[in-house]
Amino acid sequence: MATTTATITLSSADLLSDNLSLSATMNLYQHNTTATGLDEMNYHRLVIPTGTSFDLIAESAALSEDASYVYIINKNTDVTDYVLIDINSEEIGRLYAGDWMFIPWDCDLTHATADSSIEIEAVGHETIIEYALFHNGETLPTSGD
Amino acid sequence: MPTTTATITLASSDIADNSFSISNTSTLYNAGNDTGISETTGLGRKKVASASNVILLDATLAGGIAQDVTPDKSAKVFIKNHNDRGDGSKFVNILLTTVEIGRLYGGDWMFFPWNATDGKDIEITPSDATETTLEYTVFYE
Repeated sequence: MATTTATITLSSADLLSDNLSLSATMNLYQHNTTATGLDEMNYHRLVIPTGTSFDLIAESAALSEDASYVYIINKNTDVTDYVLIDINSEEIGRLYAGDWMFIPWDCDLTHATADSSIEIEAVGHETIIEYALFHNGETLPTSGD
Repeated sequence: MPTTTATITLASSDIADNSFSISNTSTLYNAGNDTGISETTGLGRKKVASASNVILLDATLAGGIAQDVTPDKSAKVFIKNHNDRGDGSKFVNILLTTVEIGRLYGGDWMFFPWNATDGKDIEITPSDATETTLEYTVFYE
């Protein structure tokens, strides 16, 4: 199984009266395992037009009830540009130009009326984003022809 | 104004045919401009020994640790589950009110923007009642 690590470093020399430096590293493991790594991944680069909320990462039966991790970065450079990141129409937050986020994601198919897909909407200007999904399997659509 | 940065590195030598590595640094700015975020809750550490749903960050609650976070602006949240991973069956659900975002297993962390409007609290629900230790901080304007 694959070994994938995610490391964050938060730092500032002048936010507090002393230096701020915080670092954490994690391995991306499968659910219910001691140390078995996730071995599937999707990486995309997209231009998101304004005015519509899209499903960026849709629910999938094979993704359900397992460990998945999502990374999204807003690649625009105009600091006024941002995207809304929602789950089930609840706004988690605004990802401004240059910002990134990294979250665990629970693809939950148990609630028929609650969509756990990760949604995105560009505000102000079309937005270039890159995102990654680290997962343990997804259900591909059956070919129609 | 302060300069605070958040750097992420995602790396794997064997998830694909070639090595995979992404690294990006974001400077934490106020909403819609390049003025550095100047406030933080500081680093918090919380132990929870219950499987009940509880509020970790209460948006707009007067007197709460997150009381000064301005809704609809720029706020960034860091949360880490400080427990050992164990057998990988124990985790903490992280929710935005009733909407589950995802599961933080022992050793996992997350970093995300937070809208922080009234009622949009960051809540946690451990998968069982054994003690869980979380570390968290918010950078905000």
